[in-house]
Amino acid sequence: MPVILAVDDSPSMRKMVSFTLTGAGYQVVEAVDGQDAFEKAQTQSFDLVLTDQNMPRLDGLGLTRKLREQDQFKQVPILMLTTESSDLMKQAGRAAGATGWLVKPFDPARLLDVIKKVIK
Amino acid sequence: MSDVHQESGGDNFDLSQFYQIFFEEAGENLDLMEQMLLNMDLVTANDEDLNGIFRCAHSVKGGAATFGFSDVAELTHQMESLLDKLRRHELDPNSAMVDVLLESADISRILLARHQTSDTSDPPSTVDLVRRISELAAGGGVPAALAPAAPAPIASAPVVEPAPVVAAPAPVASTVAAPAPAAASGQRVLEVRMGPLDRPELADGIKDLFRDITGLGEISELPSQQADYRLFKVVTTSSDDDLLDLFVFHVAREQVHIQPMGGAVAATPAAAPAPVISPVAATPAASAPPAVVAAAAPVKPAAPATFGFFDGAPGAPGSDGAPKEVSSSASKAAARPAAASAAAVQPEAATIRVAISKVDQLINLVGELVITQAMLAQYSQTLDPTQNQQLLAGLADLSRNTRDLQESVMSIRMIPMSIVFNRFPRMLRDLASKLGKKVDFVTLGEATELDKGLVEKITDPLTHLVRNSCDHGIEMPADRLSKGKTETGTITLSAAHQGGSIVIEVRDDGRGLSRDKIMNKARERGIEVYDQMTDGEVWQLIFAPGFSTAEVVTDVSGRGVGMDVVKKNIAALNGSVEIESSEGFGMRVSVRLPLTLAIMDGMSVGVGDEVYILPLSAVVESFQVKGDALSTVGQGSQLVKVRDEYMPVIELEKVFQVPRYNRDQDSDIMVVIEAEGSRVALLVDELLGQQQVVVKNLEANYRKVPNVSGATILGDGKVALILDTSALVRRSRH
Repeated sequence: MPVILAVDDSPSMRKMVSFTLTGAGYQVVEAVDGQDAFEKAQTQSFDLVLTDQNMPRLDGLGLTRKLREQDQFKQVPILMLTTESSDLMKQAGRAAGATGWLVKPFDPARLLDVIKKVIK
Repeated sequence: MSDVHQESGGDNFDLSQFYQIFFEEAGENLDLMEQMLLNMDLVTANDEDLNGIFRCAHSVKGGAATFGFSDVAELTHQMESLLDKLRRHELDPNSAMVDVLLESADISRILLARHQTSDTSDPPSTVDLVRRISELAAGGGVPAALAPAAPAPIASAPVVEPAPVVAAPAPVASTVAAPAPAAASGQRVLEVRMGPLDRPELADGIKDLFRDITGLGEISELPSQQADYRLFKVVTTSSDDDLLDLFVFHVAREQVHIQPMGGAVAATPAAAPAPVISPVAATPAASAPPAVVAAAAPVKPAAPATFGFFDGAPGAPGSDGAPKEVSSSASKAAARPAAASAAAVQPEAATIRVAISKVDQLINLVGELVITQAMLAQYSQTLDPTQNQQLLAGLADLSRNTRDLQESVMSIRMIPMSIVFNRFPRMLRDLASKLGKKVDFVTLGEATELDKGLVEKITDPLTHLVRNSCDHGIEMPADRLSKGKTETGTITLSAAHQGGSIVIEVRDDGRGLSRDKIMNKARERGIEVYDQMTDGEVWQLIFAPGFSTAEVVTDVSGRGVGMDVVKKNIAALNGSVEIESSEGFGMRVSVRLPLTLAIMDGMSVGVGDEVYILPLSAVVESFQVKGDALSTVGQGSQLVKVRDEYMPVIELEKVFQVPRYNRDQDSDIMVVIEAEGSRVALLVDELLGQQQVVVKNLEANYRKVPNVSGATILGDGKVALILDTSALVRRSRH
């Protein structure tokens, strides 16, 4: 069963993402911000990282950069889940090493569609 | 409702199960935002504060949009846009912004509450707020039409408010010069300062960005005065927002300072005469036609894609029809080491949330344990110490452990006074501005802890006292100056533990109480006063029902309801109120409360075979009465003469109809209690002792019994009633 790391500082968003993904048969590990996610990523491997951008302590771009520095995360898909949809923001995401982006607000069905494209 | 998930159709996810979490989370975010706004010093506001406030609005918006509360999403989106400019220092914070943000938080709460309760009444209008926020957001920095706030992430959610804002020509303050030169082309000339940097050469990487990313603009380095700073001139059409997001690859966000070339004030001749802000600036994002800004802003598709993958990025699908994003040149930036952006790691709060009912159950169980322990202690007194040495030692340990456990459990219910204090800055701010006064609010001892039940009940009386201080105590600024005081008055709210009590003080440096005015007012109202009364006695007069010396009745306070209610509420918590005042210099109201309502120091008295508990705080004295000290007045009421003072006598055996088997035995012990400013003498058979009692609510377990405030279980397992001293005093008045 694919394991997804879901990172968001908002409990309601986290719950919703988690519910949607577990309902679709994925296993989900939640993290409350980038720092928490990075620490969890040191003890466990993931098939996909789904992260919010704006979070305390360590933001989504920062998390992406830190994960990409590590060998075990070089090829893992990282999706930025973000309200920032400007082109330059996307460039920043790409430069940080993200796989793709998904603009908030999204609905569960679209989230699953996007995830199915990157996870087998 | 325009739930976003309905748009996609066909899926059967029910988002409503997350509403409750979202409501709680949004409430916390709005509270936190309010607190941070109030604590923010406008002059020295730091990035951490501004980012924190921004994040609150951002989170609420994100959730509201996701769960389909589009009215909340729209309002918080506007707040977020303004806050975004503040945190990027495109605008300087001012009090008008704080005002409008606080009001918006209030309205957001109301809107959320409507969704929560499925209220179908008319929602409060947000049109005016949205307009004011837009104006403030447009009041400086980049022309709002070019601002990054324009791309509407919530564009898919229909806006609840009809948008008359579009039609309203934004009356933008013309005094604010838009600093962007050549506004027609959207190009801005900026001065970008980076530092302090450990390795300034890192900053040079941003020059590559401008070379690599087509259309980003031009950059040239300027000589910097400081060795650890780099200075650049940038000509660009991009917003500060977007620039910052790129620069963070090389230097930390906090190290980047962007301002229009030539300083914040200076405007190039091209910009000065033109109040560039077009009405579009005030348009809610949802209806902003992208075409208007298309010439200047980075090209945006008419229907923006909602997701995408980066070509060749790790894990990206080979071909999926998703829009290909981003020129490959930007990937150069990725190869560069990201500058340290390590935010200080904050320790996670080591707290858990527990339902109050669980804590109360724990307290109840400990109460039972205390009773059992007392019972064992009582029986053990009859045991022979030499034969039962170990048992007695064990019981002594049990007694100590029980006491420790009881204290620990009680401390769970203790919460800091800051919970109460935090509501006052906002209230005073609003009140002072309404009254045209200047008030500084100081709090001391916010960490002082108090039982949760008491905290809830003390909030209203304290609110009243603080309002009074602001309304009646603090003078108008001109009055204060003429009296040689500072223009700004000070209200101090403090809390401190004193013995087994907590003392909360409300102090102000205003006009204080006027002895003459109070005496005159008392006479007018037919209250008996005499000139020899001490100041303390005179101040107590303001607690009389309907008493107010306010010359003008304001809509804040001064309608004469209040101080009596304050005193009554505090007395109901077994507390007391004292006033000190000095005319012209201010006054101090001290409220003394027990630390908890669950345990009480009591005096047990015997009447017949019954035992009753009196709150020790109410007991004044006790004495044996001689026959001639009692006199009977009409209808069988009795009075007792104590030191030349007559006070009413209440025979407890008559009040509670205690059966008396031994007719010879007559009560002759008097216990004087004081409540609500009066004293009465209770006639009892014997004084049994003083002890801590665990208060049980009789109303919740049985029903309300007149003259009784609760019950407790004694060491021998018997139930004793705790007397309601206020009720007994009132009874004696009739």
